[in-house]
Amino acid sequence: MRLDLARSLRLKLISIILLTTLAALVVALVAIGAYDLRAYQRNLADDVSTQAELLGRMSASAISFDDPKVAKANLDLLRLRPQVQAAAIYTAKGALFATYDRPGSRLAFPKLPEADGMRVDGRQLMLYRRIVNDREILGTVYLRTDYELVERIRDYVGIAIAVTLVAMLVALALSAQLHRVVTNPILAIADVAHAVVQQHDYSRRAKKMSGDEVGVLVDAFNRMLAEIERRTAELEVSNVELGRQVAERFHAEQEIVQLNAVLEDRVRERTAQLESANHELEAFSFSVSHDLRAPLRHINGYARMLSEDAGDRLDDSMRRYLDSIGASARQMGVLIDDLLAFSRLGRKQLELLTVDMTLVAEHALGEICGDRASSAKVHIAGPLPPANADPVLMKQVWVNLLSNALKYSAKRGDTARVEVSGERDGAINRYRVHDNGVGFDMRYVDKLFGVFQRLHPHEEFEGTGVGLAIVQRIVARHGGKVRAEGEPDRGATFTFELPAAMAQRKENTT
Amino acid sequence: MNYQQVEILLVEDSSADAEMTLRTLKKRGIANSVEWVRDGVEAIDFLFCEGPHKDRGNLQPKLVLLDLKMPRMDGLEVLARMKNDARTKAIPVVMMTSSREEGDLLASYQLGVNSYVVKPVDFDAFAETVAQVGMYWLIANVAPA
Repeated sequence: MRLDLARSLRLKLISIILLTTLAALVVALVAIGAYDLRAYQRNLADDVSTQAELLGRMSASAISFDDPKVAKANLDLLRLRPQVQAAAIYTAKGALFATYDRPGSRLAFPKLPEADGMRVDGRQLMLYRRIVNDREILGTVYLRTDYELVERIRDYVGIAIAVTLVAMLVALALSAQLHRVVTNPILAIADVAHAVVQQHDYSRRAKKMSGDEVGVLVDAFNRMLAEIERRTAELEVSNVELGRQVAERFHAEQEIVQLNAVLEDRVRERTAQLESANHELEAFSFSVSHDLRAPLRHINGYARMLSEDAGDRLDDSMRRYLDSIGASARQMGVLIDDLLAFSRLGRKQLELLTVDMTLVAEHALGEICGDRASSAKVHIAGPLPPANADPVLMKQVWVNLLSNALKYSAKRGDTARVEVSGERDGAINRYRVHDNGVGFDMRYVDKLFGVFQRLHPHEEFEGTGVGLAIVQRIVARHGGKVRAEGEPDRGATFTFELPAAMAQRKENTT
Repeated sequence: MNYQQVEILLVEDSSADAEMTLRTLKKRGIANSVEWVRDGVEAIDFLFCEGPHKDRGNLQPKLVLLDLKMPRMDGLEVLARMKNDARTKAIPVVMMTSSREEGDLLASYQLGVNSYVVKPVDFDAFAETVAQVGMYWLIANVAPA
């Protein structure tokens, strides 16, 4: 690279010097040549005119005296002027009076003289001049000389070429040595620039060799290098800082990812734990309920056996005690059965079908009442909107709600009424069971749907307090809601809503 | 031990349940000869005439009342062994249990149980159930000779 740069620089410099020299030489040579040629032309004209004048004056008397010999002798003097090719003197009438021609040449003379003047014809100059004496035209002098302009030009060109060649050679020789004065400092800068680029070493500086423009360039270059060095240092510092920040951020992100993974694991773990705890709880409540049944059966069994075997030996109160033991055991058995039913509910898989709710409600009523007259108290304001639900569970809902309504309105006797209605409301189906029974205090509405929560004493109304909890659980599993409204002695209304089209959501059995 | 024809083999770990069952069967005059064993291992010994029952003779009971949850060997395993052996395969087995667990129910039927009865808590209902089961399998049902 440096070689190329040096070569091209040197070439350019030498070319500039040579071109400049050449231009100066050409201009000078052309100017000198032009001047010389003009001078030659003028000198020649003056010279020839003077000779013609002299010849005329010298020959005036010869013409006057008609002495051609004298005239001839005059003309012969021209031998001293070898460039004169020919000369002649004409009389006033235009006749040739005397002639001269350069030895060795035989040229024809014009028959008649022309008017005064000079004429160039090829490489000859011809001149006519009147011989006047006392205003009388005596005759005409004719001179013909070599006109050597072309030769002169040729000589000049030759000399110019020679001079140019010599001058160029000298210039070449000089510039070949002197170009270093210019190129060396520049090449030194180039060297430093090259090294900086190659080694990224911005601490290098170019050496200043002179105070001229190159020196200025060196200063500017060095200042630039210093600036770059400073900027590079700053950049490196900020790069390091950036790298540190990036590393920190990467680290933080990794930590977040790890934390997330840990969290997700934990959530999974907890969910699994929860599920298994749920399962265990279900299994536990199931097995507890189940295991409780055996001793209950035994209590009831032995009380009954005692009553059978020793009945005649017991008095009334003893028998009542035994009956109470049996009744309590039976009641606890019912509680356990309900608890088992409730527990089973959570494990049953939902089978969603289109359910004719009118039909299901009627079936439920039939199951509760059998052929008894109580079914007449129930009025189904059908048709109820069909539900997208599990038919078995829906029947359980109707059984529980209707038996509840009948149970709590039973005291009204023949005036007891249970109204069942339903309607479609946009995306939900709503069903309602209204009775005119004992109702309840709205303050305790929250307790209504809890397991084993009862608002009335057992002596007054039978039941375990699981029925409405089961209703709520079934409705909730269908994605619906159930609510109750009531007033003491004014009856109660139970409303449940189911989504008209239940999404195929994943049903968990727990 | 009395090796006359045993009509019912009662497999029951609860002495109370066993007592109630035996009382009902006797009182109702359904079975005079009931053999009561307390777990699955004893039941297998009896059925295959092993251990303390090796001199029992080959007469098989007409009905086995089998409790589900028992120590050592449970009812399902006894049932499986019985239904897998030609000597006991034809004996009607009624599962008498407190469990309404669907898994047990399904497993029992898959193993070939002849009936599955949940013991009621109420003694009258319990007695009635036991009586019905005994009546049906010992009297109403026609068994292969």
